[in-house]
Amino acid sequence: MLGIVIDDSRAMRKILRGLLADLGYEVLEAGNGREALDLLQSTGRVPDLALVDWNMPVMTGLEFVIEVRKITEMRQMTLMMVTTESEHGQIVRALAAGAHEYVIKPFTRDGIIDKLALLGLVPVGVSS
Amino acid sequence: MTNDLSTAVEVDLDMIAEQVWSAFLNGDNEEETIFAAPDTGAHTDLAASVAMVGAYEGHLVVSCSHKASRDVASVLFAMEPDEVTPDDVGDALGELANVLGGNVKSVLPSPSQLSLPRVSATAHERWPGTVEVCRTVVRWRDEAYVVSLLSGGQSASNNTQGA
Repeated sequence: MLGIVIDDSRAMRKILRGLLADLGYEVLEAGNGREALDLLQSTGRVPDLALVDWNMPVMTGLEFVIEVRKITEMRQMTLMMVTTESEHGQIVRALAAGAHEYVIKPFTRDGIIDKLALLGLVPVGVSS
Repeated sequence: MTNDLSTAVEVDLDMIAEQVWSAFLNGDNEEETIFAAPDTGAHTDLAASVAMVGAYEGHLVVSCSHKASRDVASVLFAMEPDEVTPDDVGDALGELANVLGGNVKSVLPSPSQLSLPRVSATAHERWPGTVEVCRTVVRWRDEAYVVSLLSGGQSASNNTQGA
């Protein structure tokens, strides 16, 4: 499975990359939404899963979700917001824009894996 | 918009700090972390802050020593403290402020927007026109981390995001 971690913090990308790699994912990284779109469009690859921060420079996570939902080839990509934005209105905005799941930082490893399992995105045979 | 500074703001900084440390910094064999530690006026070198603009205006600031900032970076980047670079320190301390600030914002008047984090030397950092609403001190690995919530001031100068 292919995942992409989109976060302007290198530290957070490293944590999330490690989590996905432990689940057997090949992992791409991007520092903001624009960088992620450019990477995916230049490689022609469509991840099974994107973990997306909200507050980033250049292109926010919400803007990324909105853009991705316009691209037919990327519609099967599961979008999980992983962010400190925890106001109810913000969560509703993200889900309405097309995000499938929402995780609030600070998260636990098990919390993310449980949500991925519900989405069918934990490979068979992999335990948390 | 500015806050009515007489308005009581109920923020449990101790609980929020404990959640963040538990999730990101405390490993399985971590030595005891002291939350709500005595505020002994710890020396700080660096300050990481995020600004809040909107229904609440202010800043969330984390201050600590150089050694403490390297400890945070070494855990988040899984490196030895003497291997981390200044960029690693800025990234890690900034993310710590970002996560703390996001959780604090969730219990403040809404809607508000959170800026990207900024990290600078404490000696050069000023938040004019602000007052401290509350603070807590976390003592982790024998280092003090001062977490402060400020109200008022020129929040917009911290590059607030539009979403």
